[in-house]
Amino acid sequence: MKRDKPFTTGRVAASKGMAFSKSPVLAVRLPDWRSRVMLFVLFAAFAALGLRALWLQGMSTQFLQKQGKSRYERTLELPATRGKIMDRNGQVLASSLPVKAVWAIPEDVLASPPEKLTALAGLLEMPEAELRKKLDSDRTFVYLKRQVEMDVIAKIEKLKISGLDTRKEYKRFYPQGEVMTHMVGFTNVEDVGQEGMELAQQKSLVGATGSRRVIKDRLGRIVEDLGFSRAPHDGKDLTLSVDSKLQYIAFTSVKNAVEKFNAQAGGAVVLDVQTGEVLAMANYPSYNPNDRRNLTGAQLRNRVITDTFEPGSTIKPVTVALGLETKRITPHTVFDTSPGFLMVTGKRIHDTHNYGVRDVGGIIQKSSNIGVVKISQLIPPQEMWEMYTKLGYGQAPRFGFPGPTAGRVRPWKSWKPIEYANMAFGHGLSVSLLQMARSYMIFARNGDIIPLSFVKVNEEPVGQQVISPKTAAQVRTMLESVVSPEGTASKAQVPGYRMGGKTGTAEKIVNGRYSRTDNIGYFVGIAPMSKPRFIIAVMIDNPRGALRTGGSVAAPTAADLAANALRAANVPPDSSVTDIIIPETPLEESL
Amino acid sequence: MSNKLNVVLVAGLIACGVTLVNARYQARHLFIELERLTQASRQLDIDWAQLQLDQSTLGKNERIEQIARTNLNMMPLTPARTQYLTTEGAR
Repeated sequence: MKRDKPFTTGRVAASKGMAFSKSPVLAVRLPDWRSRVMLFVLFAAFAALGLRALWLQGMSTQFLQKQGKSRYERTLELPATRGKIMDRNGQVLASSLPVKAVWAIPEDVLASPPEKLTALAGLLEMPEAELRKKLDSDRTFVYLKRQVEMDVIAKIEKLKISGLDTRKEYKRFYPQGEVMTHMVGFTNVEDVGQEGMELAQQKSLVGATGSRRVIKDRLGRIVEDLGFSRAPHDGKDLTLSVDSKLQYIAFTSVKNAVEKFNAQAGGAVVLDVQTGEVLAMANYPSYNPNDRRNLTGAQLRNRVITDTFEPGSTIKPVTVALGLETKRITPHTVFDTSPGFLMVTGKRIHDTHNYGVRDVGGIIQKSSNIGVVKISQLIPPQEMWEMYTKLGYGQAPRFGFPGPTAGRVRPWKSWKPIEYANMAFGHGLSVSLLQMARSYMIFARNGDIIPLSFVKVNEEPVGQQVISPKTAAQVRTMLESVVSPEGTASKAQVPGYRMGGKTGTAEKIVNGRYSRTDNIGYFVGIAPMSKPRFIIAVMIDNPRGALRTGGSVAAPTAADLAANALRAANVPPDSSVTDIIIPETPLEESL
Repeated sequence: MSNKLNVVLVAGLIACGVTLVNARYQARHLFIELERLTQASRQLDIDWAQLQLDQSTLGKNERIEQIARTNLNMMPLTPARTQYLTTEGAR
């Protein structure tokens, strides 16, 4: 028996094969591309991150920084106050104070208890029905009341009504009220000038609001200043030429006159002879600029500047001055004014009385139309037109005040003889009271005329010579004789002072014709005559009483104004005459 | 040697840090104070404007004249009742 079968003793798999786990059958064969894809994906992801970082850092940096800042920075609005307006002595005529506007989210406010709404209506000074009407709105923002004063705001805030909020704004206050309003004007709720100097000087009065960026802490305190984005500028203060005291005197005189003579309106202006400043400009009827409900056009109207009228007899000294200046007449040249009327190309010019033979002074004193027409017939129309132009008649005025009228003077070539004759005594051309007052500068000063100013003047302006000082002095003497018991302005006499001036009366033009019933009386005067200080012009529009002419309504008003103004300005008296003689039947000029 | 230097530098650094924190703190406080005072000055400006307005309202010529006439029974001056003294007479 064969015993050697070494290879058949027992089976050992291992000896022939390998471990199970190492079986090549089980081995996973990864394809090469997978690792490459993996590598690429990882690389791409990193590249995307890098790009994103680049994008954030490089491209949208500003946007992100801005977003960041807006989360910790605050922008504060810095309000600018509108400049104050003061009179020549520094008294405040207009000043802005912070107030608040009350606004509401109607839905939220209506949800609050009714008694709170009643209280709110009371504080806002409006009927509750009106308040509810305002709240009955689809909008989410409704102004309940604007320009509410701070003490009222404090009470409203105590009510703690939800949906009610306030916004800061300014309110303009005018302490002098109706006395000064035609000079100062007023602003609207948006702080924009609407009238008077508020309108004229809007640009310099209004400030520029600014803003600044800050960082606030948890308690709302500003901890860091990041600088102004816009620096605020307060409006400039404005010092007017007006004198509160004289303005009050002028206003009271006009007001009293309008009431006394049952007139429709009145106006007065006081000019400083040395500087051309407008010291007072008053109108009546007037209005209170702090409460502008129910304003009428008549109240708003600044008659001194915007109304034109035919100057009537007040222009006669101008005609005479030109005659004297061109040496066509002397103060002693005599003219025969009898028989009280004169025919010019078939039209009749008349005086109230037959004044007979008069010298030039007498013609002015009695205000003889015939005398003045005879003087004008010696002067070529072109010279007269040039004189009017030099005095500013028919010229657009540059007063630095809104709404002045230029008046109307037609070109001399179109003047017919009768029209020229009429113009010599102030008919057929129109001027404003301020223009008329200014033209009297040539008499009050030594023959030159200076520009007017509504703001305080620090240096004396340079005048334009119109007539010689000698002529000016001669006319002044005549003007003074008008304000005497024998002249047409006997009622313009002022106790203690020498006053000169000229009255005028013009029929108003209604529907294109001269009205028989409506007229304007005025007076332009210079005081005191020894050293002229003021030019005072007064107009009384449509006096309905027994007294209607310039000599009987405007002259006494001017005298009243002048007496108080001279006293207020501490002008020493230049006359010892203190008892005024007014004849029983004062001389009246013709219409 | 270098150990000692390090200690000194670390101490210096810490001191610097502390003073910086302190300086920032002080600066903030001063700034808040400045803001408060600016605010106060604005309020004083408003008060000043209010007082000027009050002065103008109370000093209105209309009011003064009325008080003088009714409460104090005063009368306007006229040249007829006035004695004027001239400087020429004194010389």
